[in-house]
This record gives sequence, structure tokens and C-alpha cells, in this order.
Amino acid sequence: MRRWSLFLLRATLYLLLLGPLAAFGLYGLSTRWFYPQLLPSEWTFEPLMRQLGSPLIQAALARSLVIAGLVTSLALLIGLPAARTLGLRRFRGRSLVLLLMFLPTVVPPLATGMGLNILFLQLGLAGSVAGVVLVHLVPVLPYTVFALLGVFARYDEGYEQQARTLGASWPLVLLRVTLPLAGPGLAVAALFAFLVSWSQYVLTLLIGGGRVITLPILLFSAVAGGNPTTTAILALLFAAPPILAIALASRALSGGATVVGQQY
Amino acid sequence: MTQIDLRELWKTYPRRPAPALAGVSLMAESGQLLALLGPSGSGKSTLLKLIAGIERPDSGELCLDGASVLRLPAHRRGAVLMFQKAYLFPFLSVAENIAFGLKVQGAPRATISAEVARMLELVSLSDAARRRPAQLSGGEQQRVALARALVTRPRVLLLDEPFSSLDQAVRQGLQESVRRIQRELGITTLLVTHDKGEAMAMADRVALLDQGALLACDTPQRLFQRPPTRRAARLLGISTFLHGERAGCTLHTALGALAICPDGGADGPATYAIRPEQMRLRAEPGLNTLPAQLVGQSFRGEHSEYQLRVGEATLRVRAAQPPLESAQLYVELPPEQLFPVLDDEPPDDTKAPACEHP
Repeated sequence: MRRWSLFLLRATLYLLLLGPLAAFGLYGLSTRWFYPQLLPSEWTFEPLMRQLGSPLIQAALARSLVIAGLVTSLALLIGLPAARTLGLRRFRGRSLVLLLMFLPTVVPPLATGMGLNILFLQLGLAGSVAGVVLVHLVPVLPYTVFALLGVFARYDEGYEQQARTLGASWPLVLLRVTLPLAGPGLAVAALFAFLVSWSQYVLTLLIGGGRVITLPILLFSAVAGGNPTTTAILALLFAAPPILAIALASRALSGGATVVGQQY
Repeated sequence: MTQIDLRELWKTYPRRPAPALAGVSLMAESGQLLALLGPSGSGKSTLLKLIAGIERPDSGELCLDGASVLRLPAHRRGAVLMFQKAYLFPFLSVAENIAFGLKVQGAPRATISAEVARMLELVSLSDAARRRPAQLSGGEQQRVALARALVTRPRVLLLDEPFSSLDQAVRQGLQESVRRIQRELGITTLLVTHDKGEAMAMADRVALLDQGALLACDTPQRLFQRPPTRRAARLLGISTFLHGERAGCTLHTALGALAICPDGGADGPATYAIRPEQMRLRAEPGLNTLPAQLVGQSFRGEHSEYQLRVGEATLRVRAAQPPLESAQLYVELPPEQLFPVLDDEPPDDTKAPACEHP
């Protein structure tokens, strides 16, 4: 009985995850698919190749990758010291800092986006990649810090002190002790940061002002345009990097988790 | 070979009223093993952290071989700390852990592998080189930590209770090998411990710390047998103190006159102490005996402990004697075992002048 319900649960989850992707595959890679047919009668890579060859899509894809990459690096750079301090130190106002940190996850992005749009216009950052990167940090940072807090909640600074007395300067301690110890948590944080930035639409549209075209922007306009083939191909392109990243990370994480488990 | 010289070190931690160290001055001669003995909270670990450079003193001076190292960062002091926890890096193998210090200091690859092999042999773990720290026992982990500390040829080795989490047999083996290796290499070593036996067995000299202050510093034998002050004596397990008037070779206490050995001290009020294992129990009165009533006894393995009522006070006596039957006894305080201590404790409220118990 239990085994059956577990199987049912897994099957449902796979269906929910893979169903839409399969539908996109069917739409994106076929030409003739009319009513009573169960499956398309003709298959082709032509629309996929045409879309991939389009300079507009190539540019959007590259821009999305650059923005998500920059946001991820910045989020880790800011999030690592923040999470370390919040995780290891007890100081007055710590809970206030935590609250402010997590506020962006509950306040609707449209509200923050409107306000930031006015500010960014005055600063001359509206409509630029830099502005979009900065505004992505608003929803990304809470997730990054949250993922890293888990690392530092059970972190022992003794390892760093030990490394220092063994002759390692602080950059070497960071490189050879802190980062490897934080490894799995760091991977999770990077993944979160990348995914949250990659899937931003509202904030990119507001701050980018139509001048910073990322993949989600193209995808939304394709959906509005109503061409199922284009929509399907863009959706597949949009879903590919996250799925790839999660697949890679899950292997690294399951390996890393056992090491951490043994240690603590 | 390095001499450690600490002068008037003060250290206060934020949000704690009492200083962790209150003006400690201490000297460790080159090649010596100096034990820092004291209860928890006595400041002994803080002292090590100051020397290692992990903490900074509020004031005072800290010299290695006569040169101040206060301005040097931790990684350039050549003082390696070893903690109670081995802190082996879980993502490195045993050999890589030992190589860590040389690697971060940029030693050539050939030197590293030769030194690592030599160290693995020194701690007899040559066949564990490729293993992960998690696969080692607690004792083996500490041996790897010792090898990792020694491979950089530190000027000073700082041991912060590295044996206290190990069981008795492993601990003794490791204590002996640390002592042997330390002598062989001639590394000046500071050992923090709260275990009297460990301090006495391993150290050339023992410094006694309590509440951030240095109470005494001497060879293990002298410190154990003749602690200079009452507080020091108490930390070393002495609980029998006799207060009275000294006149020549006699101490007049409220319990009666006791013979003492001449030690050149002036006549007048004085406090004498005696170790619990130096008192003897007798059935008849004799020289320096006090009538006592047995109120309790407990068998402790190597010895038995007897609680005796003498006048108003309770005395604790340790003896290897078989359990006693009669309740009316005499406790003998041999004159050569009575020694004067400086009374550095505030007089307590109970007005019992002669003897007291903890």
C-alpha cells in the first residue's frame, strides 16, 4: 500500500515536470499536427535551427546568461560575508537585519520595482544591463543568504584558526579552508541565485525598460504573439540551463553531503 | 629553540566583567615544556590564543627570543596551536592534511612529500597516508594533528588540552609520544590542561593559573609538594589548613600544639598545610596526633578516603590502609610534611580557626 502511494506520488511529480517539456518538444519539433492525429505526422529541426540562428534570440540568450552569471557572482560575494556574520555572531539588531534581508521575498516585486525604477532613472541606471543586474539582486540575495546561513549555522571557526596558526594568510584560509568547507552549501546558493535571476521577468521589464532584452522578455512576447512553435522552442531554451544546472549540482551535492555528514 | 617571554598580559572579552587575564607574566625557557594548569575559566586557553595571534591582548608584551611578536599576524608567528578537537580538514587525506602547512608556505613539492613521509613515520601512521580523517580513531586523528603541527618546524608548539577527549589508555600513549617527540626536536611547548596528573607527568615546569592570575610557577615536584600559597595549594588538592601562632618549632592552634620543622620563618601568626596523602591514621595517640572521629570513608581504588571530625572541622585523609573499624582514632600530622603557605584567601565566615574543609 505504502509502496503504491509512493509510486503514484513519483509518477505524478514526473508527469508534472516532464509533461510540459514533452508538449514543448512535440510543438517545437513538428510541422504538421492536426486534429484527430495523436502525434505529429512530420518531424523537423528546421524551426529550432531557424530560431537558434536568429541574432535576436542569440543575443537574448547571451544577455540572460551574462546577467544571471553576474548576479550569481555578486550575490555570493555579498551573501558569503553576510551569512557568515549572521550565522556565527550574536549582536544587537541581528533579527532586524534578518527581517530586512528577507523582506523582498514577501513584498511583491512590482511594488519594489516601481520605486526602484524612479530611483534608477535618476541615477541613469534604468535601461542598462548594470541596472538590471542590480535590481535582480533584490530578490536573489535573500535566497543566497538563506542557503548560506545553513552552512554557517553549524560552521566551526576552529578550522580557520587552525589554518592560520599553520601559516596560512587570510586569502589562503578563505581559498583552502572556508570555501571547501562551505562547498555544498555554496553550490546550492549559487544555483538559487542563478535560477532566480534567470527567471526574472517583471523586474527586467521595469528596469530594462524594453531596452535590455532577455530570454523571458522574448518568451512573453512570443506567448502574446500566439505562435505555438516559437513559444515552444523559446520555452525549451529557457528551461534548458536550469535543468542542466540542477542535474549537475545534484550529483555534486549528494557527494558533498556525505562528507559534511561525516564531519559534523 | 625559542624562549617565550610574556609580560603583564591583560585581556578582557566584551560583555564579560572579569578579565580573562589580569597581568600575567611568565617565561618559558628554550626547549622546555611548560604546563599551564588551572580550572576552566582560569585564562589558560586565552594565553595560548594570544601567543598564537588569534586574539590580541589589551596590554602587555609578548616576546619570542626577546623580540616582540605582537605586530606579527598569526600566520607569521611560527606558533602552532593544537586543539582538543583535531580539526583535520575533512576534504583532505591524512597526507594532504599534514602537508597543509608547508603547502601554504610555498615549499617545493619534493620537500613536502619527504617531510610528510618523515612525519607520518614519527607518529607511526605511515600506512594511513591516503585515508580520510573520518576513517581514523580519535587518537589517530590527534596524532595526525600533531604531525601537521610539527611539519612546519614551529618555533613554539601550543597544546590546548589535546588529549582530554581521548580515553585513558590512548591518552597516556599520546602523552608519552608527544613528550618524546618534543624532547627530540627541542620545541618550546606550552601545554594547557586542567588535569594535575597530566601536567605533573609531562612538564618541566608547571604554571598554576586561576581567575586570570598566575598563582605559582615551579617544577612539578616542588609545586606539588610545597605550593607557596593557600589558593595554589587548594587547586592542587590540599584541603587541610592549620592556622595558629608559630613559636619556634611549635604551632599553637585551637586544636592544640603541633611540632613543625624549622624553616627560618618568623614567629607570629602563620598558616600551615598538609597533603591529604601525608596524614596517617593511628589507633593510639603519638607525636603530632589529634583525636578524631571517623564520619565517613570511601574506597577509591588505589587509596581510600576518610573523612574525620577533629574538633569543629572535617579533615580529608587519603591512605592505602584497609577500611577502619573503630570510630575513635588519632590522625597523625608528621612535622616534616607540614609546610607554611601564604594565606591569600579572604578569611571565611565560619569562625573555626584551626582546620577547615572545602
